[in-house]
Amino acid sequence: MKKLLSLLLAGLLIAGCSSTPTNNENGGETAKPNTSASVINVYTRDGSSGTREAFEGAIGLEELTQNAIEVSSNGDMATKVGNDTAGIGYVSLSTDFEANNIKALSFEGVVPTVETVLDGTYTMQRPFAFVTRAAGDFGSDEKEQLVAAFIDFLQNSTEGMAIVESAHGIVDMTKGTPWAELAKNHPIVTQDNSAITLVTAGSTSVSKTLQAALEAFQPMAGNFQISMNQTGSGDGYKRVLGDEKDGANAADIGFASRNFKTEEDVTNAMTTGVYCIDAVVAVVNKANSLTNVTGQNLNDIFAGTVTSFTDVK
Amino acid sequence: MSTKIKDKILNTITYFASGISVFVLGAVLVFLFSKGFSTLNWDLIVNNYWSQNLLGTVDSVGGDYTISEEVDGIYSARWGIALKDNVNSQKEKVIEVTYIHPESPLKTMLSSSAGDNNKEITLEDGYTIQKIDIVTSDGIPTFTGKIMSQDAATVISNIDSAQKITSIYYKTTGGGIRSSLITTLYLIVISLVIALPIGVCSAIYLHEYASKSKLNKLIRQGIETLTGVPSIVYGLMGVTVLFPVTQLFGATTTSILLGGLTMSIILLPTIMKSTEEALIVVPQSLRDGSLSLGATKSQTIFKVVLPCAVNGILTGVLLSIGRVIGESAALIYTMGTFINDSPKLLSQGTTLSLMIWSFMSGEQPNFELASAISIIILVIVLVLNFIVKAIAKKFTKNFA
Repeated sequence: MKKLLSLLLAGLLIAGCSSTPTNNENGGETAKPNTSASVINVYTRDGSSGTREAFEGAIGLEELTQNAIEVSSNGDMATKVGNDTAGIGYVSLSTDFEANNIKALSFEGVVPTVETVLDGTYTMQRPFAFVTRAAGDFGSDEKEQLVAAFIDFLQNSTEGMAIVESAHGIVDMTKGTPWAELAKNHPIVTQDNSAITLVTAGSTSVSKTLQAALEAFQPMAGNFQISMNQTGSGDGYKRVLGDEKDGANAADIGFASRNFKTEEDVTNAMTTGVYCIDAVVAVVNKANSLTNVTGQNLNDIFAGTVTSFTDVK
Repeated sequence: MSTKIKDKILNTITYFASGISVFVLGAVLVFLFSKGFSTLNWDLIVNNYWSQNLLGTVDSVGGDYTISEEVDGIYSARWGIALKDNVNSQKEKVIEVTYIHPESPLKTMLSSSAGDNNKEITLEDGYTIQKIDIVTSDGIPTFTGKIMSQDAATVISNIDSAQKITSIYYKTTGGGIRSSLITTLYLIVISLVIALPIGVCSAIYLHEYASKSKLNKLIRQGIETLTGVPSIVYGLMGVTVLFPVTQLFGATTTSILLGGLTMSIILLPTIMKSTEEALIVVPQSLRDGSLSLGATKSQTIFKVVLPCAVNGILTGVLLSIGRVIGESAALIYTMGTFINDSPKLLSQGTTLSLMIWSFMSGEQPNFELASAISIIILVIVLVLNFIVKAIAKKFTKNFA
């Protein structure tokens, strides 16, 4: 009995030996591309990616095919699909398609452009929404005015929009007003605000755009302090208006990379809205003749039920 | 089966097992160093994470700052500044200043931020240009720079053709991990200061004073079970139960103190267990000898038994330090995820492992930076190990 056990143990150890280190070394690549051109190679992002979350949500994907190849970033995805004639993947709209030798696919017949995203016809998109604490609940008047000024800067000023756009958010630049004009409504920005700390919470996907905007606003508004605690969309509402609004993790502005749900009642907020849009685009290699896909097509491909481009209708 | 074959099999298994551990350890090290070593440099360690955002008033039409030597990047003789496209450690594109003429109007400016009272600010090499407010040759005020997703060449041509520059928004060099390094050491000290006396004393009680009653057995069992509780549960407990305690000290948010309190609870079982193990191996003859010389029980314990157990207690300290450095789940709830450049007892902060968490949880996981931080963590653990071992050597009294 003992011998049997020890042999079994040895067997297990050998099995463990062959699988553990490989996972470590290639940074989580899960499958190798198939070289035969007729079989689709599905590329996907790592599990923590917000783009992946948005993409899978938009096509209603329940289970990803086991043959999917995992890539580590947006740029990595573009490069790999650009080098694989049988590859399909998804990137954010701001990617340089031409330079990476990839082609953006229309979704449900709509070409992905900034215009179609903004007018809502291109549906593979998600809003970056924000919500503030209730008016009078900021602890001080100065802070409330500062939050209002920042939201105005983020949402309406040319500078704020340009910053969000440079951090890859989609905004309608034509609607911007120069900050110099808007600043007149916010006398708070001409004071020394270094004693005030703006605390943000919520989605991690908004981090890049939010951080860029906060940092740019800081010297324009009396050097206030920043504290960004981005943990996930669910915490955005909770920490400014929900259960945790007076707890240790309370925040002034909450963010979500989706619309606020019906159970997240934002009517009490001082202000709420959407400051930019993130769009996901399905891409194939330039050599591919495919130009348009539907949600069902993508669902079939990414679930692994359709494995050849000739079957995509 | 003969004994010989049995022995062989058992031997092979041990060789195999240790071989695998060495291999895995090697693989992890190779992975970390191959990914992170190139990112590692002194600036990363000493710099702040957040760059300072500065807004300077310029209001100048430029001059002639022609230079004879070659400079990196594209040079504008009218403004005396050279810019270059670069990528920072966060993998973001930046427009970096590679050279600035000492007499350039952009070199020394007055800050236009409210509250700075027209403080003098300077532009140095390595800083990044975010936005330059200009007035075009047609007299229209506009701006150029990284926030318009432009590259260095465009910015230079825009400012060269402009009528004048009114103000400039730039960032100092950031992206360093200095603050997290300090927070990590801070947290180690706080949690050990709280957990060590409590842990050691309760271990002494359980081993030396407590009778072998059912209740004491239950307590010991309970403590051993605590080691198996997931740290995220401690984190949730910390933020609900311990937060009011830190509020008494004036905390308004999650803080390093709250993180330290939570960590000290996580450490208690480890310290108690290793102290008790150390007390067990102190020979009974020492206690008997001390008592027969007329020393009281407390004198015996604190002057004879405890010094012999120092080695074991320090092993507990070593394990605890490792635990504090490696912890992240409990700290997300109790210390926040904001990288704070001036960590204080009652402010939020991130340890190095939390910093890795936040770099890896973003839209574009940054393996290189995470690996570089891991290397630094390994070095810290190694150094602390040596220090603790040196202390142990100094304090150990060998009675046996």
